[in-house]
Parts: sequence; C-alpha cells; structure tokens
Amino acid sequence: MEAPRDLMRATLAFGGMLRASGLPVTTPQVMDAIRALEAVDVMDRGEVYLAFRAVLVNRMEEQPAFDRCFEAFWKFHAEDGQGLDGLVSTVQPARAEEESDPGSIEAAREEQAQIALDDWDEGEASEGEPLEVPGVSDREVLMEQDFSTFPAEQLEEVARLTVLIAKRLARRVSRRRRPTRRGGIVDLRRSMRANLMKGEIIELRRRARRRRKVRLVLLCDVSGSMDLYSRFLLQFLYALQNVFGRVETFTFATRLTRVSDLLRGPSYKRALKRLTEVRDWSGGTRIGDAIREFNQQWGRLADRRTIVLILSDGWDTGEPDVLAQEMLTLKRRAGRVLWLNPLLGNPSYEPLTRGMAAALPLVDHFAAAHNLSSLRELAAHLTLR
Amino acid sequence: MRAEIKKIQDMMETADYVTDPAIAMSVHLAMTLKKPLLIEGHAGVGKTEIAKVMAKMLGTSLIRLQCYEGLDAAQALYEWNYPKQLLHIKLEESTTHTTSEKEAAIFSPPFLIRRPLLQAISEVGEPPVLLIDEIDRADEEFEAFLLEVLSDFQVTIPEIGTIKATQPPYVILTSNRVRELSDALRRRCLYMWIDFPGFEKEVRIVTRKVPGVNERLAREISRFMETVRTIRLAKVPGVAETLDWAQALSSLHADHLDEELVAETLGCVVKDADDIKRLKRELASGGIGRFVAAQS
Repeated sequence: MEAPRDLMRATLAFGGMLRASGLPVTTPQVMDAIRALEAVDVMDRGEVYLAFRAVLVNRMEEQPAFDRCFEAFWKFHAEDGQGLDGLVSTVQPARAEEESDPGSIEAAREEQAQIALDDWDEGEASEGEPLEVPGVSDREVLMEQDFSTFPAEQLEEVARLTVLIAKRLARRVSRRRRPTRRGGIVDLRRSMRANLMKGEIIELRRRARRRRKVRLVLLCDVSGSMDLYSRFLLQFLYALQNVFGRVETFTFATRLTRVSDLLRGPSYKRALKRLTEVRDWSGGTRIGDAIREFNQQWGRLADRRTIVLILSDGWDTGEPDVLAQEMLTLKRRAGRVLWLNPLLGNPSYEPLTRGMAAALPLVDHFAAAHNLSSLRELAAHLTLR
Repeated sequence: MRAEIKKIQDMMETADYVTDPAIAMSVHLAMTLKKPLLIEGHAGVGKTEIAKVMAKMLGTSLIRLQCYEGLDAAQALYEWNYPKQLLHIKLEESTTHTTSEKEAAIFSPPFLIRRPLLQAISEVGEPPVLLIDEIDRADEEFEAFLLEVLSDFQVTIPEIGTIKATQPPYVILTSNRVRELSDALRRRCLYMWIDFPGFEKEVRIVTRKVPGVNERLAREISRFMETVRTIRLAKVPGVAETLDWAQALSSLHADHLDEELVAETLGCVVKDADDIKRLKRELASGGIGRFVAAQS
C-alpha cells in the first residue's frame, strides 16, 4: 500500500514536532517513518506508535519526549469513523492545544530559518575578506587581558583570535602524530609483498599503532559572570576539536543541560549565543548536584581516555559534601579532571569558598582560563599523560 | 494487528522466545525496511537472543561478530592467511614463476580468510542474519568503519576487487551502553530499548524456559526479582539470572520459596560480594515476606 499524501504530510509534521522538542530527527528518518507506515496497520494507534518509535527514537532517553509528542500528535477518534482523515485533520489543532508552549513549533521554525540566514551571512563575510588579525603589539596586549574586561565591540575580534590560536595548536598536535619507522605493529601484508622473491620474511614492514584520540567532556557553569568565560572556552575547544575524538558539552547553573547537539550544527557561533537563553536564574549554582546528574545519567561518556573539564568559579550554594563525593566518583571514572576557574587570574584570589576547597584535592589540574594566553597554556594539559 | 507482525510474534514464541508487540514490531520493520536494528538494554535481558531467534525463524544462518576493545578490520572483515602464503612462497622458490605470477597466486581467494563481515556480504542464497554483538565495546574508529560497510554492503579488497552483497544481510547490533554510540550510527539504525521484563512477562519466561518450575514458584521468583531490582545494587540481575536461579531451584525440587532456600541459592541471583551482603541485610530486616508477598 502506498502511503496517502495526507498521511505523508502528517508524518512530516510529526517529524517537525519532534525536532522542535529537541529530538535530533533527520529527514531520512522521517522518510523511513513514512515507509514504515506502509508496513503496519495505520488504523491501529498502538502499531503506528511502535513503528514510529522504532524509526524516530535514537536512544532510550528520548523516549519520554517522544511519547509526549506522539500523545499530542495522535488525537485519533475512532467514533468519527474517518480513519486516516481523522488522524490527519487533527494534526493542526493538536499542536495548538497540547504543546505546553503554544506556537513553539512556529518559533522553532522561525529560529531555524534565522539560523539558515545567519549561515549565509557568515559565508558571505568570510569569503571576501581575509581573517583580520590585529598587529603584533596589539595582540600581546590582547593575550593577557581578562575576557571580562573587553568592551562588547571587541569581543568578536577576540573570539576570532581564539579560534586562530586553537587552529595553530591543532596543526602542531597533528604533526606530532606522524608514524615512526621503528616500533608499532608488524604489517604482515606489506612484509609479504616486500619479501616475495626472498622466500622468507627477512625484512619486516611496520605500521604505527593507531593512536586513540582523547575525548573531552565539558561541564560549563553558565550562571552570571561565568557565562562569558564559558563562551570563550567553548570557542577555543571547538576549534581544537579535530584533535579530539569527541567533545561533549553540558551547561549548568542549577540543572545540567546537554548542549552537544546544539553546538554540533554548522552555525555553531549563533548556537553559542543561544546557550544563554536556556539558562535558569533561580537559586544560584549547585555544582555538586550538576556533577551528580552527570555521573548518574551520562557517566558512560567518561572513561579512562576522557578528560573532564569543569569551568566554574566555585561559588556553590549546594552541600560541599555532595560536591566532594561526586568529584570522587567522577575522578575514578575519568582519565583526568581539570578545573578551570577564571578568578584564579586575579593574583589575590585564593580558593577559599567551601565548594572550591572541597573539590580542589580531587582535581588533577587547576587553571585560570581567563584570557587568551591561559587558554593557550591549557592546551598543554589536554593530554592524558 | 497486521498479520505479519502477529506471525513474527507467534514464530518467536514457538522458538521459545517470550516476546511482546514492541519487539515483534522492531523485528518486522528491520526485515521490511531492510535496516539494521540497534538493541540497547541492561545485561541479560535477551538482546542477543533476538538475532538467534530471527535466524531460526527465517531459516537462515547466523553470523556473529563479537566486539571487543581493539577490534579492527583484519579481525572483522578479512585477512590474508600469512602462514599459508609463506608456505606457498617457500614451495615455489625453485620454480620459474615471475614475481607477479607469485603475487597473483598468493593474493587470491584460497588465501583469503573471511571474517564475519565479509562472510555476511559474500553469503550466497538467503541473506543471513548478521549479529554485531556489544558494539559499545569496540572503539569509535571501528564504529566509523562499520558505518561504511553497513551503508553499501560492499567491500573492496585491493588484490581481488569489489565484493558486493547480492542481498544485504539482516543486521542486529546490540549494546550494553558501556560507551555512548555515535549519533551517525544511531541514525542509520532502527532503535529498540529492552527493559527488564514486567512481572507477567517474567512469569511466562520462567515457565516457558524452565519446565520444572510450577506456577506458584514461577510467580514467587518473578516477584522476588522484581523487588530485588528496586534495591540499589552494583549489578542489577537480568533475566539470565532469573533463569539460572529458577534452574537451580528446579533441580532442588523446590515448589515454593522459603528463607533457607533463598539464602542457599542467593549466589544465582546476584554475583557481586557487596551486592550479596546488601541483599542479605535487606532480607534480614524485612524477611522474605517483603520480597515474595503479592504487591498487587
């Protein structure tokens, strides 16, 4: 059976609805969902639900959000006897009634359009003019200046410089990875070829053992004044990201939010600016709770080859005991734990807050990350040994 | 319910796999959409079993690739049989064959070792079921490589040429979530999460798989397991443990649970020293009644 046009449109709308609720559904997946409808009984709500779930959900954590969306989407009234039409005709009203935030799909669409436009703008700009880097003397001043003291109009320029430095560092690291002649594992295939006429293996050909890339997990405090530092750190690390296997990013103030998907898009810079919009202002920072949430729900992202970076000023309104306990769990699991505290850039600062004091003994490296030169130094610590 | 899905469910039940509509649907879609099926869930909930049952159902062969850290293409796809090549070179030493002739000889199909992925692609006849077990144990690099193989089911061996599957195999991937899988792989697959079975389903599994257990004992076992899973343990027992335990109780000719019996056989249920201690403490404080009493 060919899926009717209306059903197709309804499925497309459902895909859009899932996306608006933050599920990373791709167009091929939506196409598969339409194909799946041909393989099930479209009059049977249970079957359509299971089929859509198998195709459109990518991980267990997405299921509750999916269920909510499906509930809103499928306002199927058997008594109206319309079957498919019943399904299709209710798509529009269901959206308006059931969404907790009315019009959020529209908003998301607009936002997407906006991002697309932004991309285009960026493309235009970067094509014509070369990347401007300030003169040497200017640059040295910039390197040492605390991010928070830059005037707003200069931030863009500093951000560019951040990326530039990161890219240079990335090149240096990749050059260091070149395979060596000795050591490594024997490449039997090439050895066999090289020794074909000799009758036996005399000369061994080797290939370098593949180096495993280090992974990064960032936990960024975005409360109050930390927000600006988070943005520069993120900018810096994302420009470095081809050196790493995977970069996972979380933000926290009172609650932990995974923003990796948000940052993975092409218009990453705009996404960065949107990060501040998801922030909640109430109740101060609870670092211990945030780390606990990470340990419990996302612990599998951190293993011995992972470096965890926590960016926070350590002003914790939670219990220091909780923080210490959770830091210990984290430390046991991860390869290295770095704590970045921009206040450390101030010579008179001492880590005396209760939270900071509790966490400090459990941290492998404690650094500032408050200006460009400290970010550059940070790169040296982003290895496991 | 569509007849096909019902049929799958029935066939799975005949193959001794106690299933539910969600599992049957996923298997049905994997077969009709010809897409890999990624199954996640706790250890011991019967993920691997699905592939086995599928092969049995379809009457085709099951090819299994067990993943582990450091698994590479040579172990997963193909490798040349080096000892055999070496021997061949040695034997041919005195002949007048040219280098290129010798080369063509030793890099030909008889010297090729087909590993599971190549096997699955080059299988003639009915498409086999390819089980890629515990993909979360393999490295991320391997995952990327696998993605390539799964997207077009063809493999190029420089010395021989390209081998393309006439009919792509049915692919089942399982993961215990030791490591987070890439989004790219997830998007390529259908997804299914298998949770611990509910009470009724577990009773059915026990009575089905361990015939020596009577209805009352099966219900008590399932209730006990349900309660145990609510306790914070380092390693939460799965269905595999339930069945181990039921088997043990059955061979002891038990017809109901009592404290002594539970204490003696606790090692079948939890397999971690700290967990055993914790469970014993819980048992001592609440008595067995708390674990077995009907909660309904």
